[in-house]
Amino acid sequence: MIVPLAHVLVLAAVLFGLGLVCTLVWRSNVIMLLIGIEIMLNAAMLVFVGGSNHWGVADGQVFALIIMAMTSAEVSLALALVVYLHRRKNTVNVDEFRELKD
Amino acid sequence: MKLYLELIILLPLLGGIVNLLLGGRLLPRRLTELLACAVIWGSFAATLGAAASYTAPVTVELGSWLAAFDFKAPFTLYLDPLSLSLCLMITFVCGLIHIYAVGYMKDDPSFVRFFALLNLFVAAMLVLILAENLPLLYLGWEGVGFCSYALIGFWYRKPENATAGRKAFIVTRIGDIGLGIAIVWMFQLFGSVSITKLNSMGYLMPIGVITALGLLMLLAAMGKSAQVPLMVWLPDAMAGPTPVSAQIHAATMVTAGVYLLMRMFPLIGVSPTVTAAIAITGALTAFYGATCALVQRDLKRILAYSTISQIGYMMLGVGAGAITASTFHLLEHAFFKALLFLGAGCVITAMHHEQDIFRMGGLRRTIPGTFWPFLAGAVCLAGVPLTGGFFSKDGILGAVWLKGGGFYGTLYFVGLITAFITAVYAIRMVLIVFAGEVPLNHSLSKGEGKPLPRIMEWSLIPLAVLGVFGGLLNLPEYLGSGVLNSFLSQPGSHEGMLPHATELLLQGVAAVVAVAGISTAWFRYGGDRRQQRLALESAPARGISAFLMEGWRVDALYDFMFVRPYKWLSSILWQWVDEGCIDDTLDRTAALFGRFGHWIGARGDGRVSRSLIGMAAGAALMIGWLAWVML
Repeated sequence: MIVPLAHVLVLAAVLFGLGLVCTLVWRSNVIMLLIGIEIMLNAAMLVFVGGSNHWGVADGQVFALIIMAMTSAEVSLALALVVYLHRRKNTVNVDEFRELKD
Repeated sequence: MKLYLELIILLPLLGGIVNLLLGGRLLPRRLTELLACAVIWGSFAATLGAAASYTAPVTVELGSWLAAFDFKAPFTLYLDPLSLSLCLMITFVCGLIHIYAVGYMKDDPSFVRFFALLNLFVAAMLVLILAENLPLLYLGWEGVGFCSYALIGFWYRKPENATAGRKAFIVTRIGDIGLGIAIVWMFQLFGSVSITKLNSMGYLMPIGVITALGLLMLLAAMGKSAQVPLMVWLPDAMAGPTPVSAQIHAATMVTAGVYLLMRMFPLIGVSPTVTAAIAITGALTAFYGATCALVQRDLKRILAYSTISQIGYMMLGVGAGAITASTFHLLEHAFFKALLFLGAGCVITAMHHEQDIFRMGGLRRTIPGTFWPFLAGAVCLAGVPLTGGFFSKDGILGAVWLKGGGFYGTLYFVGLITAFITAVYAIRMVLIVFAGEVPLNHSLSKGEGKPLPRIMEWSLIPLAVLGVFGGLLNLPEYLGSGVLNSFLSQPGSHEGMLPHATELLLQGVAAVVAVAGISTAWFRYGGDRRQQRLALESAPARGISAFLMEGWRVDALYDFMFVRPYKWLSSILWQWVDEGCIDDTLDRTAALFGRFGHWIGARGDGRVSRSLIGMAAGAALMIGWLAWVML
């Protein structure tokens, strides 16, 4: 059975929207924000794979692999940052960190 | 044969590596020294074995090295009379130098580095000599260059020594550019880098191309063999320990350039422009070196300039097409110059590291074991009749005479004048250092001379014997035939032979010139005149002698022509272009963005969540607009 491209795109759009909402709404926890970003990235990856399948070109899948590698690197860095932030202020609430302003 | 050739190169290499890795910590000092000497003598034994079983030129492939598409440069060794005789000389002389170095470096703490580098030096030189293809030769060539750099600057704590090492490295590098270009170009032209193949393919190319190739190789030889105009590194290279000077000057490095030209002579020798250029370089260098050596006060600098001069003779011989005579002089020079350097090392040790000959004197009584071998070396250098140096130098001059014509005739007379000057400075050196009395203010006069290690004086004797009787290796035609001559001359080569009468006449002239030089030196420095002459010359040099003392002021000229413009340019590039333009531009730009960021930052409240909402809203706006436009 072949999934049509449109279905894949719709699924990806829904996923992306969910990720975005998660990022925007769940401000009391940095980790949830990161999870939201991951979901959005996965949605993008899904579009790549879907396109690759639809046009029969491998490039999209290669991109998906690269995104995976990049994501794993990014997550490991981000988690380290979270640990560090928690140590500094004893909280993971996003809005507590406002030093960027100055 | 394959085993012998492998051993010749691998033994010194192995010795160097083992000493580098294990020496000092795991091996006791005696063992390090023993290993360093043993591998060289082992290599000599292997060379003897190769010589004993030698019948015809052989090519041995040991393994593949560089191979890409149709470019191939395997580890291939080539043994023919030229490389065999040079290998014998190198392993023998270097073996003696190693033994001598054990005595000379007796008190030096970093002996491991010294012996390891000395071994690697020999290994690199043997690779250079035995290489069958040019990239392999280049490997040895650069290996020799690196080891000489490290050894000249061996006592690197003194800045001037380190500078001398760098100077040697950089100046020889200029020549190496020539060799590099020549190798790549030859591969492009002939599709091969094998020396034997290249030498038989010269007729394929127009003479102009051959001339260009020959001139490039001459440039390489100029750098390595310290020929005019790239000779400036060699006098400074005296900063290294004396055994190193002996090894660089006598046996290994500086002969590499001459060897390259001899090796490639069948290819480049067909161009008369190239041979003329080689000959004139040689003659000019010989004259330059001899005149500079005439006034030097530093014992080792005299010998350094004399090396430049003698290598010039070899180049002159190559330029005249006399490969055999040139090889003979190369070997003979290796013996007596190693002897002179090692003798100078003995003198310097005995004088507590004093190198100024004007503060020496009377050493013939204090260190007779050094005096006699040193005298033997000096008479060889002066070309006193019947010594080896006489025959070898005469062979070259005879070959130049044989070429005839105005050009080579002039070069012959330059060579003859140089021979005269050579005799003068050689004898001057001996008279000032060994004759007369010990200077009163020196510790030697109070009987406190440093005892020389026996081993140092013993290693002089074989060299003295070879230097003085080396003429037997290659007797002139009228005294029976030369061993070396018949060994080296390949079938099909037609090096001209002088008629016996002419040869005798030329040797008579050379003998007269040598004797005249010696008597001139004697009349200036002999007997009681020595003291007055020393008093006269102790004053700072002026006029022509100052000019000669500073090596024709070539260093100052190069400083003015190259070093200062280079420094000026780099200071502009550094302070104006790099720091002024590039760095400042970046700094200012960054500062600008920083200020802009602060300005923006002051307008937000700094909450990440709000920024995210803003970003999402902006993205939604843009996508919405795009969708509006597209649909």
